[in-house]
This record gives sequence, C-alpha cells and structure tokens, in this order.
Amino acid sequence: MKLFRTGGLVRRVTPILILGAVIAVQAVADLKPVLVFPLYLAVVLLSALYQSRIDSYVAAGLAASALLAPSLLRGDRSGDAVAALLLAAVLIVVVAVVHEVVQRIRQEAVAAERKANEVEASEERLRITVEAAPVGLALIAAGGGWLQVNERLCIILGRSRAELLHMALGDVTAEHDQTAIDEALAMLRSGDILRWEAELHQVRGDGSRVPVEINIAAVSDHPSGELVMLVQETDISNRKRLEGLRDGLVGVRHTILSATTWEQAAPRLLSGLCAHLDWDLAQFWAVDTELQALRLRQAWHRDGRALDEFHNQSRRVSIASGEGLLGRVWKSGVPSSQEDLSNATDYDRAAAAVQAGLRCAVAFPVISAGVVTGVIEMLTHEGRVIENDLVTMLSTAGGEIGQFIRRAETAQALRRSETDHRAIFERSPIGIARVSSEGELLEANPALLLMLEHDFQIMRSHAWPDLLRAYDQAASRGRLAPLLAGITDGKSVQVRAGTGGGNWLWLQLTATSIPDSSGRPEHVLVMVEDVTVVREAQDKLGEALESQRSANATLEKLDRTKTEFLSIVSHEFRTALTGIQGFSELIRDGGLEPDEVRAYGGYIFNDADRVNRLIGDMLDLDRMESGRMSIRTADVDINEVLSDAIARAGSSPTVEFKADLDPRLPIVIGDRDRLIQVVSNLVNNAVKYSPDGGTVTLSSRSEGGFALVSISDTGVGIPPDEIGHVFERFRRVRSGAAQAIPGTGLGLTIVKQIVEMHGGKIWVESAVGHGSAFHFTVPLAADNVSQLQRRHA
Amino acid sequence: MPEPAPPGAKSSITVLVADDNDVAQRLCRRVLEKAGYTVLIAVDGLQAVEVALSQRPAMILMDVAMPGIDGIEAMRRIKTAIPNQPIVIASAHSMASDRERFLAAGADDILSKPFRLADLVAIVAKLTANSGV
Repeated sequence: MKLFRTGGLVRRVTPILILGAVIAVQAVADLKPVLVFPLYLAVVLLSALYQSRIDSYVAAGLAASALLAPSLLRGDRSGDAVAALLLAAVLIVVVAVVHEVVQRIRQEAVAAERKANEVEASEERLRITVEAAPVGLALIAAGGGWLQVNERLCIILGRSRAELLHMALGDVTAEHDQTAIDEALAMLRSGDILRWEAELHQVRGDGSRVPVEINIAAVSDHPSGELVMLVQETDISNRKRLEGLRDGLVGVRHTILSATTWEQAAPRLLSGLCAHLDWDLAQFWAVDTELQALRLRQAWHRDGRALDEFHNQSRRVSIASGEGLLGRVWKSGVPSSQEDLSNATDYDRAAAAVQAGLRCAVAFPVISAGVVTGVIEMLTHEGRVIENDLVTMLSTAGGEIGQFIRRAETAQALRRSETDHRAIFERSPIGIARVSSEGELLEANPALLLMLEHDFQIMRSHAWPDLLRAYDQAASRGRLAPLLAGITDGKSVQVRAGTGGGNWLWLQLTATSIPDSSGRPEHVLVMVEDVTVVREAQDKLGEALESQRSANATLEKLDRTKTEFLSIVSHEFRTALTGIQGFSELIRDGGLEPDEVRAYGGYIFNDADRVNRLIGDMLDLDRMESGRMSIRTADVDINEVLSDAIARAGSSPTVEFKADLDPRLPIVIGDRDRLIQVVSNLVNNAVKYSPDGGTVTLSSRSEGGFALVSISDTGVGIPPDEIGHVFERFRRVRSGAAQAIPGTGLGLTIVKQIVEMHGGKIWVESAVGHGSAFHFTVPLAADNVSQLQRRHA
Repeated sequence: MPEPAPPGAKSSITVLVADDNDVAQRLCRRVLEKAGYTVLIAVDGLQAVEVALSQRPAMILMDVAMPGIDGIEAMRRIKTAIPNQPIVIASAHSMASDRERFLAAGADDILSKPFRLADLVAIVAKLTANSGV
C-alpha cells in the first residue's frame, strides 16, 4: 500500500500499460470480446482496488472502448456487438462497485488507525498528567498497600517511590488519624461508600507531619478484577498554616473581646494560639517592673508530664532584659525565634527544653502603649522553620493582647471603682437618690428607703414627688435653683418630710447634677440626710437662746426699772428730807421767833409724814406686786364706801361733791379697807387736780355682774401723751396747772393693783382743761362668790 | 412768805431760787435773806428763764425736777442768753452720774439736796463774790 502511495507514477501507469497490451493482443489477434473480457476484468479490478477513482474509471473506460471498438469499427450489429456492450457495461459497474467497497474499507482502516493513535496519545498524556499532577495520586490495594504512586505523592510524603511501594497508606498516616483511615478503607471495601474524603495528617519520611486533604475512591473495574482504590492527596500544609495564622489571630481577638480580665483571657489565649498555630506549649512572661525582670505568669501546654516540668523550671527563672530569647524579645520589642534548641547557645532554659523534647521556640512581645509589658513564648517538639507571615501575625497578636491587657486593667480599675461606688451607694448611712432629668426617681439606696420607711415603689410614686416639691419650695425661699436645674454648688436645703411610719423628719437635701458627655444634665444625685436630731437641737437651742435673750431683756429692763426706781425714790426722799433737814437745822441753831418755830415744825411734820407715806406705799406696792398681799374678803356696800369718802373730803373749801349712787347696787365681795383706800385715793386726786375748784362726782351702778364706780372731776385733766402712763409708778402729771400738786407718785399704781386683785378693771378718760373720770369695777357678790373664793383661797 | 430784809450791804445782791417745791422755796428764801441777799422765786423752768433774763440775778439756785421745762433746759436757755450767768444746780438727784450730767450741761456748781445751811450760804457767797459789793 505504501508502495502505491509513494510510487504514484508506477501505480498509475501500470494498468494502462497492461490494458494497452491486452488491447494490442485483441486487435492483433482479433479476438472476440468475450475471450478477452476476463483480462480486461482483471485489469479493471486491479485498477479499482489500487488506483484512484479517476484512474480506475479511465482504465474501465479504456477496457470498455477496447471491447466495443471492433464492433463499432465494423458496424457489426450482431450478437457479438451486444455481448461486447454488455461486457463493457459490466466492467464499468465492476469498477464502480469495487471502488465503493475499496473506498469503504480504506476509510475504516484510516479511522481505526487514527483511533489507535489517539488512544496511544491519550495514554501518554495521562501518564504525564498523573506524574506531573500537582496532587498526589496513587492506587492502593484494598488492604491499603501502595500499588502505584505518582511523583507528587512521593514529594508530599517525603519518601521514594520504591520505599512507598513497600508500605501501606496506614503506615504513613499520623497515629491519631489511623482509626479514621482504617474505618474508611473498610467501608470502601464493603461498598458502603464509593468515595471518602478527609483532612488528616500523614507522616513524612523524616518523621514530620504533613496535613493533607485525602480523597479515596473505590475503583472496581481494574483488569485484574481485584478491588483497588484511587487515592488522591493534596498537601494542605500551606493552606493549613495560613488558616492557622488567620484562625489564631481571630481566636486571639475573640478571646480578648469575650474576656474581661487578663487572668480570664490568658489560658484561652495561650491554648488558642497553640491549637491554631500547632505549638505544644505557650507561656506568658510578664515584665516585673520592680525586679526589672521577666517572670512566668501564665502557662499552657498539651498533655505531657515533661512539659509540666518545663513550666516548673521556667517558674524558677527570672530573665533580664536582653538575656536569651525572651530577654531579646523584651529588649527589641520584635518577635524572635530559636529554631533548633538543641544547638542553641543563647537560650535561657536550653537544658530544660531539650529534656522536655522541645525543639523549636518562638517568642513575641506583648506591647501596651508602646512599652513591652510581657513576652509570649511558644514551643514545639517539632523542628520548624519560622515563616515571615507567622512573625507578622504574632506581632499583630502581641499588640492586640497588649491593648487588651491595658484595657482590662483600666476596666478592672473602673470596675473596682464602680464596685466601690456601688458599695458606697448601698451601704452609705446617707440616703442617696438618683433622679432623671425629668425628676423621676431612678434609684434609691437602702438608707434612703429605711429613712423614709417606704418601699421603692411608694417612694417613687408618692414620697419622692412630695420631697421634690418641698425641696423646690424651700430652695426658692432660700433663693436657690430648683433641684432639677441641677447645680446647687453643694448648697443644702432642709425640708420637712413624713415617713411611711408616720414620723416627721427634717431632711437635708444636697443635689448634684451629673452631666452626660455633651454636658447636659443627665441625672441628678441627691444626698438625703436625716438632720431631725440636729434640727430639733438647733430649734431647742434657738428657743433657749430666744428665751435667754428675752430673760436678759427682762432683766435689763428690770435692772433699768430698778435703777430708775431707786433714782426716783431717792429723789423723792431727798426732796422731803431737804425741808426736814433745813428747817430742823434752823430750829436747832435757835434765834427764831416762836411763830417761826411753829411754822417750821409744821413743814418738818408734813415732809416727815410724806416720807412715811412714801415708805408705806412702796411696801404696799411691793407686797402686792410680789403677790404677798392678800385681801380679806367680806360683804362690802360700795355705796357706803363712796358716801363715807364724800363725808371725809367734805371739808375741802373749793370743791363741790356730788353723789350719783345706784340704790339697788348689790353687795360686792371684797376687802373693805382696800376699797376705801382706792376710793379715797381717787377722790383725793380729783380734789388735788382741781386746784381752781369744781365738781367731783361719785357714781355707782351695776353692769354685767360688776359694780361700776366712777369718780370724775372738772379739774386740769391729763395730757394725751401722759394718759397712758398714769397708772405707772411715780408718773405724776406735773405739767401745766398740775405742776405744783404733791403726791408720792405711787397712789394710782396701788389703786390699780387693788382693783385688779379684786378681779376688776380700772381706766381713765380725760380732757385737758375739762377734767378726768376714773372708772373701776368690782365683781358683784351674787355671781362671783365662788370665783372670788377660788382666786383668793 | 414775806420776810423783812435784814440790814447789810448784801441786800443789793439778788439770788434767784428756782424750785417747784414750796418747802424748799421757803427754806432758801429764809436762809439767804437772813444772809443778806435779795431772793427771787421761780416755780418752774420757764419762769426761771423769764426772771433770770429780766432781773439779771447775781446767781441762780436751780432745781432740776420741775414741771414744764426742767432745770437743765432752763439753765441752757439762760446760759445761751447770758453766758457768764452763774448757776448752781440744787437737786435731790444725787447720783454721781447726775453730778457729771449737770456739770456737762454748764452748771457752775452743784448743791445736793438735802444740804447743810452753811453749804448753801457758802456756795451762794462764792458765786456772788464778784458781784458788785
């Protein structure tokens, strides 16, 4: 076939040459077409089989022409000619048929070849693909033994192909994932599942672990007929690492967001970092500012006694700045690592670390407000390369942890302060109320409720509004702002308030407004103190002071009165004594006429008598005023007393007496002598103050259970400015026409005392130049016996 | 009570006695006339001022507690008109504070009641010493 294809010329020419030879033979031998037909048929068949369609039709056409030619040339219409025509037709048909068949066969052959080529290429590609795949691919036996592995899987597992082919999947799976693998294989074998996927750790040739995403599918149609499984593994260590970094930071943030204190957060932070970043142990070292050293404060590790011991060793150490890994981190403020602790020359606890099987350490600073306040160290049993992104992540975490510690400390201080304030609020002996800016009571401490003997509900709905009103009223009296206006500059207001128990208290309220962040009063704090005791003491003190003051005033007045009295009395006495002493001296010195001596003796007698009366009046008055004088009560006929007085005074040359007595006036109960003293005093005054004569009228009548007695004159009268004082001691009317009228100045005072001792009253009406009228009353016997007896018992 | 004027040079010397108490008036008049003075009597403050200004006595014996204007006021009025008029306050107000009060009001001397007759004569003699005898 190839020959024809390559030697096209030979192939094309050969049938023509054979035909030409046959035609020549036919022509020369003039053979019958029937005889030469098999030859033509053979040539045409060959042409049809091996030549192109055109070539084969040309050959067929030639052969047909050669068969027909003799007949045509001879014009023969015989049976031979017909036979020739048929034969020629047969040739053409044969060519067509053969050609079609050949064409078919040929096409099928080409297709088959192409297919074979394609399969071959595909297999090659698959092989290359499998080998070069970025995922590990392998076939394993139903028991797990490796049958075929690709290059990538060898790289992932860190083992050679030859090594792997002697091992099983379980052999390279981390211990804690082996159960899962075994179970998965069992389920795949049993046909319960066709495919199993997981993320697990495999153990590399060097013993390190690698996280992989594994996908195992049962493959049932393997030529061997045995069940095999296709294993696909992807090294996800990078993804895991990045996820770990991300999750680690998220974990840190979550922890510090949900925790309130560092003590609360520390274990979770340390364990979270270890879990997400796959470390075995973490420690927080705090800077001890007093010691100027790092001391272990919190630690966390995965289970293992050896790690406990490492913590114990660590606790005994204090690390100076710049010393070892931690000291360097402290000093520099940037993360640092020790990738191989067994060869570390500058690691503080190298021996302890190696003993605990720890191989790699990383440490990062906890920075708060730009200052390293601690260092967190993480260690692992594995050898590890510290990637830059881990360092970046730890730096970030360290900063955020530092901020958290600072926040937590501030918050703790705040909480402590809040707790203190709460305690003050709850336990204060002073009542404290928190009031909204609308005046509503928001909170009342126990002391306030206890003080006012209300529960909070009553306090809020009733007692507080009352208190608020009382405050504002008291404040406005004191020219202070109302409570809700807020600032009172610490000025207090005292109000009276009733308690639930029905007591009344004096409360001292001091309001302070608490502004919100914008400075508007958000609420008002009101301190309420029970100042009842103080206030009552103050009131008592005030009363005492007041009564002291008034007593003092009384005493002073008394003192003044006494001094005044002494002055007046001594003046009266000395005036009387002037005459007595002077005239007696004249008499003693002798050389007087008898008439003179008699006259002077008269003056002396009069003045002596006056002194005597003065003394008597003063003693009477003193006895009456001090309540030491009693009156002897008996039936007294007032009209008789008045008549006697007129009879005694009747000798007066200038004054005319008139009596206007009520004959039906009942008997009064009284001290006869004293009532005579009253009447005679008033009559004498009337006469004395009528120097130019006139009429003195004495009248009596009954009025409202009293005997009303009046003694009126037509004398000089009493000036209006003196009329109010006539009953006072030594208040003698000395002006005008009355100036020369003698008297002790005590008469009316005594009269008033006597009248009042009888339960009566005395008063005076007067007009200057027209005279005066003195009126007094004495209770009548019938109505007032018992009263008098009681009063003077 | 008219008394016969005793013989003597002093009868030209006039003394005004201002007192509302008639016993005191009598006593002074009796003693001073006996001593040779001419005695004028006033029974209250206003009368004393009036007599003093019209009669120009050599000296005045002035009671304090008198009706109307008292002796102190009368003395003030007299001293205003006649600044060098000798006036002796003769009062039964005998406390130390009274004495000070009278001197402060311008009294030339004080005669406390009751008085010894010799004291009365002596004080009148002293204050009339410059009068034209």
